[in-house]
Amino acid sequence: MEDSTSGGEEDYYYSSDRESLDGLENEDSDFQWAPSKGPTTKVITKESLLAAQREDLRRVMDMLSLREHHARTLLIHYRWDVEKLLAVLVEKGKADLFAEAGVSVVECEDTGSPLLSSSTAMCDICMEELPGDTMTKMACGHRFCNDCWTEHFVVKINEGQSRRIRCMAHKCNAICDEAVVRSLVGKKHPDLAEKFDRFLLESYIEDNRMVKWCPSTPHCGNAIRVEDDEFCEVECSCGLQFCFSCLSEAHSPCSCMMWELWTKKCRDESETVNWITVHTKPCPKCHKPVEKNGGCNLVSCICGQAFCWLCGGATGRDHTWSRIAGHSCGRYKEDREKKTERAKRDLYRYMHYHNRYKAHTDSFKLESKLKETILEKVSISEERESRLRDFSWVTNGLYRLFRSRRVLSYSYPFAFYMFGEELFKDEMTNDEREIKQHLFEDQQQQLEANVEKLSMFLEEPFDQYTDDKVMEIRMQVINLSVIIDTLCKKMYECIENDLLGSLQCNTHNIAPYKSKGIEKASELAVCWNNKASTTADTCFPSDCGTSGKHDRPISLGSADDNGCPSQKRPKKETYGGAFFDLNLPAEVLDRN
Amino acid sequence: MIDFARVQKELQECSREKDTSGIKVSPKSDNLARLTGIIPGPLGTPYEGGSFEIDITLPDGYPFEPPKMKFVTKVWHPNISSQSGAICLDILKDQWSPALTLKTALLSVQALLSAPEPDDPQDAVVAQQYLREYQTFVGTARYWTESFAKASSLGLEEKVQRLVEMGFAVGLVRSTLEAVGGDENLALEKLLSS
Ligand SMILES: [Zn+2]
Ligand SMILES: [Zn+2]
Ligand SMILES: [Zn+2]
Ligand SMILES: [Zn+2]
Ligand SMILES: [Zn+2]
Ligand SMILES: [Zn+2]
Ligand SMILES: [Zn+2]
Repeated sequence: MEDSTSGGEEDYYYSSDRESLDGLENEDSDFQWAPSKGPTTKVITKESLLAAQREDLRRVMDMLSLREHHARTLLIHYRWDVEKLLAVLVEKGKADLFAEAGVSVVECEDTGSPLLSSSTAMCDICMEELPGDTMTKMACGHRFCNDCWTEHFVVKINEGQSRRIRCMAHKCNAICDEAVVRSLVGKKHPDLAEKFDRFLLESYIEDNRMVKWCPSTPHCGNAIRVEDDEFCEVECSCGLQFCFSCLSEAHSPCSCMMWELWTKKCRDESETVNWITVHTKPCPKCHKPVEKNGGCNLVSCICGQAFCWLCGGATGRDHTWSRIAGHSCGRYKEDREKKTERAKRDLYRYMHYHNRYKAHTDSFKLESKLKETILEKVSISEERESRLRDFSWVTNGLYRLFRSRRVLSYSYPFAFYMFGEELFKDEMTNDEREIKQHLFEDQQQQLEANVEKLSMFLEEPFDQYTDDKVMEIRMQVINLSVIIDTLCKKMYECIENDLLGSLQCNTHNIAPYKSKGIEKASELAVCWNNKASTTADTCFPSDCGTSGKHDRPISLGSADDNGCPSQKRPKKETYGGAFFDLNLPAEVLDRN
Repeated sequence: MIDFARVQKELQECSREKDTSGIKVSPKSDNLARLTGIIPGPLGTPYEGGSFEIDITLPDGYPFEPPKMKFVTKVWHPNISSQSGAICLDILKDQWSPALTLKTALLSVQALLSAPEPDDPQDAVVAQQYLREYQTFVGTARYWTESFAKASSLGLEEKVQRLVEMGFAVGLVRSTLEAVGGDENLALEKLLSS
């Protein structure tokens, strides 16, 4: 299939499902999607990065009446944590706050400017007596020649330390004025000056705990900023949903560590290898793996060779209950069997959880495919002469189904680690573990049963039913949706409070349950940028000669301009395979 | 590129002041990128009387990048590797400033000899000894100074040689000499009485 055709089709479906949602008037379902408040997570694009940075810069500049480059040096030192910076200010005072970050606010007139050309001075670095106008004095008072400063900056920028270039004087903690760095380096190495600017700009992402690059590949060029909780799941405007904390796919209610272990376990072939060692042994004659086919320890290979399962040695073909003919095997030991038993038990346990995890992931994929069919049924039904005009309950039910499927599938790796011995062996007694496991499994089973029911109702050919029957299905779907939402919420609460919450080690955190699905980060308003940059321009000191630089388009390091637009693109069901828009109804409502 | 004009000036300054500072820096060959530094062991330390040779290599970015320095003379010190001579000193790493010179760097190394920092060790064995058995540490450091950092330390090998010829095992001779601080007669007495 050609790309253009498939794209066109998707657009068609996209607009058709939008229409159906625009006509959403049903009060039963309406309440579920009403936006409570706007998303607090923000998408930072190439265009809005400067605005995002300026927001924080402005706060600090206004509060401490500082110039921009000083505010930036402070913020880089405190990793863009304005609250932390203010706490230090309150606790230790302005002088200490500045000293720790290497900011020297000395309003001496000749700072950053050359001396009169008539005088000469000694540069302690190159040890030359030089005309004063070839030297530059930093705010800390240290003066060296421009060539030496430039060389120093070049070395630091190339080392990748350019966000905080210290003064050249021994034991001087002052951070060099970025305007001086920019102008001196720019004269000799314009490319490096650009790199320097980019480093400063990207510091807002690299040095900031609350901002991370979107992990999409190829990279969409965006970063995501969260408000106060690092443990959350978020959707970038490129459509990728991910765990903000570990940057892998959204995996709650698994903790990041559990998810990492689980994906590794699934990847590892060691499990299969284990299976083979538990279930097969090589024939002593032809070396093919032979599977044991009954309880009997005399096994025979297709080549005709009989051998002892316990020691692998060749034997005769006859055996009694107690011994195998022509073979006396003294190597049978209980611990050997125990070991095998244990490996087998571990494997079965893994398989138990993995099968269920996989079953729900597969259902999720299947149901995603069904989405189009179901939405088609909706449009057919809407065309019909009927007193039922509103089918938003179908879409709402569908999204509830997707969300709960995800929860269900990730609840299995969670349970695997929560009640296994790998992570929390010493955290609970066996009795405690058993009680907790039962509690959790009850919830899991309830949720599972309701999810399957919902799936069943949504697959009914309601476009061919009578109005009464459709009304009945509608009631069921709406009821089940509410029940499932409550059950999911309860399961997360149970995990947070009763299971993870009771552990000694608190390294396991899970993203909170969101009824509406993973939060879609909203784009940081760029219009703010224009306003801010004009005000910033007016207060730019004259020695920062490049104040207009932010008007240039800024290309970010890892972002490639390969046609990944940073503006919202229409959501396509097929985006990224497993990921697609779980938030559509809410979002459409938000837009209206 | 190394700023050779500055290195030249540094060398001139060093030779002017070598009588007061006791610190000598000289190029290894015509190439100013490889140099040899000599520092006297500080008075009142187990290194007193010793003369320590330091191998200096200048990186391309000198003086904007720190010079590489290591002891050629074997030395027993918590922040200097007894094996390789590597030095653990902040100004030779991230605290380097282009305003420092070879002379000031060598002075810092000399200061390190007077004031070890066992909490940031380069040689864990030495640091352990420094913290737990200070007297043994002083003895060993002094012995190493005697053995390796003194012009007369040439004599040590001769002492070892003579005692070995008298029929004692090399290892035993060395450890006995070490225990008595290098005194050949005391060592012989001890060897005979054991
Ligand atoms: Zn200079
Ligand atoms: Zn300074
Ligand atoms: Zn993205
Ligand atoms: Zn995670
Ligand atoms: Zn065979
Ligand atoms: Zn049998
Ligand atoms: Zn056997």
